[in-house]
Amino acid sequence: MTAVELSHISKSFGPVKAVDDVSFSIEKGELFGLLGPNGAGKTTSLRVMLDIFKPESGSVDLLGGPMTEAKKDRIGYMPEERGLYQDIPLDRCLAYLGSLKGLSPAEVRKRSDVYLERFDLAAFKTKKVKELSKGMQQKAQVIATLLHQPELLIVDEPFGGLDPVNTQMVKDLLLEQHQQGVTIILCSHQMHQVEELCDRIVLIDHGKVMLYGVLEDIRRQFSGHSVTVRTGDKLPALEGVERVEPGNGTLKLHLSPGTLPQQVLRSLVAQNIALEQFEISMPTLDEIFIRVVQGKGVEA
Amino acid sequence: MTKLWHVAWHEYRRHVFTRRFVLVGLLSVPLVILVMGGLILLIFSLDTNTTPLGYVDHSGLLVDPVSAPAPEWPDYPVPTLPFETEAAARSALDAGQIQAYYILPANYLSTGQLSVVHLGEFKSSASYQFYAFLTANLLRNTDPVIANRLVKGTQIIVQSPDGSRSISSDNWFTVLIPMVAGIAFIIAMFSTGGYLMQAVVEEKENRTMEVIITSVSPNQFMAGKIIGDTAIGLSQILLWMVFIVIPILVLRNRISFLRGIQIAPQTLLLGAFVMFPAFILVSALMAAIGATVSDAREGQQMVSILSLPIWIPYMLTGLLMSNPNSPLALGLSLFPLTAPLTMLMRDGLTILPAWQIALCAAIQVLCAAGAIWLAGRAFRLGMLRYGKRLKWREVFAKA
Repeated sequence: MTAVELSHISKSFGPVKAVDDVSFSIEKGELFGLLGPNGAGKTTSLRVMLDIFKPESGSVDLLGGPMTEAKKDRIGYMPEERGLYQDIPLDRCLAYLGSLKGLSPAEVRKRSDVYLERFDLAAFKTKKVKELSKGMQQKAQVIATLLHQPELLIVDEPFGGLDPVNTQMVKDLLLEQHQQGVTIILCSHQMHQVEELCDRIVLIDHGKVMLYGVLEDIRRQFSGHSVTVRTGDKLPALEGVERVEPGNGTLKLHLSPGTLPQQVLRSLVAQNIALEQFEISMPTLDEIFIRVVQGKGVEA
Repeated sequence: MTKLWHVAWHEYRRHVFTRRFVLVGLLSVPLVILVMGGLILLIFSLDTNTTPLGYVDHSGLLVDPVSAPAPEWPDYPVPTLPFETEAAARSALDAGQIQAYYILPANYLSTGQLSVVHLGEFKSSASYQFYAFLTANLLRNTDPVIANRLVKGTQIIVQSPDGSRSISSDNWFTVLIPMVAGIAFIIAMFSTGGYLMQAVVEEKENRTMEVIITSVSPNQFMAGKIIGDTAIGLSQILLWMVFIVIPILVLRNRISFLRGIQIAPQTLLLGAFVMFPAFILVSALMAAIGATVSDAREGQQMVSILSLPIWIPYMLTGLLMSNPNSPLALGLSLFPLTAPLTMLMRDGLTILPAWQIALCAAIQVLCAAGAIWLAGRAFRLGMLRYGKRLKWREVFAKA
């Protein structure tokens, strides 16, 4: 069942086309990655999705239809530009934001107490938001996003400004929400985080969809041009290997076009090289990202 | 709909329950009144010398005299001492036992002339008290009703043809009450409208906006803010009234001119049907300004431009007072931004025709509704323009 579907969305700001014919869909309960370099059109796509911006063309289907006021209570959105009321205590700020999502004061209190405890903010709940550190405010923003237990969670750069401990905490929280069946859209340019959390992704650059699909399929699509070998022996010259790149105790063999990894393996075995490791190099999402945004595409 | 009230309550609570609001918003007017009252008392006390007054009566009018009526607060009573001879009075004056002495000649009743002898500055309040003492004795054998009429002198009462309004020397300042109320109202309107503008600018600056608008519609959000802001203004005005009315009620038995204060029902009507929508109109315009500007400083500049037409009637006080029913006065009464002050000023000076009040109220209500729409529109277009100004042309062009 589809939770979100964007069909041929376009949105311009003056002469700049921020989003150009973007289409993708997200299944219910999926943890989906929305990737792209800075200024690629990710946030604009999210704002169109949330009906903050009206698209010039295309349509959005959100939780089974167009966006409505009632649906706002079923969506949790944490924008990249963080914002909380600075001059009021944290608990009052959460109470207000919770009330705008249709929660009663008692419900807000009950739920926020649990999250504040979990995020080590319980002792600071009566402090004014401006008195909290940046990291604390970031965690408070996460709490405000989750308070009303949304069906669809949209988080834009959720790890920005967090230390490793809090990053892990947010990551665990996202996985927990995912396990509970919440549909999550994780918008980020931190590839390793997306790689770790998401099953499917869409990569946008210059307002256009560059990659879209299951992450493993995409990595496989970009693999097959090199193999990683670990051995104690000295490697002889191998047919079909253009270049050998030493790594951390390993060697990366870059294959010439048309050379298969199996041919290289056969050649190594034939020459009695004691192999400790032989694997087809799967590119990291970082590498794929750089190749795509630099216009290098899939290697031949 | 509930969210609208959440926004309104949040707005109200955020601004009202703060030290700044209590100190500046609420206590400013009472403090000004207190300071003014204190200054008046200080001037009175400096102007009052309670050293007795002497008199030498050659006319025989003050033999076995009756006391003068007690002076009204804050004047202090000045005792009067009779002297047999001018020499005795002079000795007492030189000794500082009296501050001055009056000499009533034998023919005082026919000439009405007397003389006063003093060494230093002679305070007028003492002089008034001696004349009150003299008058009381001259009229002591007269019918009290006639005596009272004689003391009060001529009283001209200007009355409206329908008899609903009248002004006399006892309550002349009633003319000024609507004008003072209008000025206080505009101060309240701008101070609370300023909170609203600042709140919208802050929400843009601290990036709260994006979270809010994915929870509540821009129109509900704006309407909630305007309701909250209007409630802040009304609270401020009500509390100011309490601070003003309580001292009046306490002091009216002691200060005669306070007894003349009266608020015409028409003034209350104007408050409800002209000032209230005007308040909403200005609040909505303030919110629209907040939505279009990039920072608070730019907002303040825009507010000062908005405030100019509102104060025009005040600048034209002379013209409005000399002819409160002129075409200029009518024009200012119908223009939404000049109407609040003009109508209140005219209300003190003339009888406003019912059709003018109705037309003015209708224009204010329509403009207030239009301003709310404009604020919602400016908010929707300008809410995510971080650090960039929304041009008014864009607000209207895309409508």
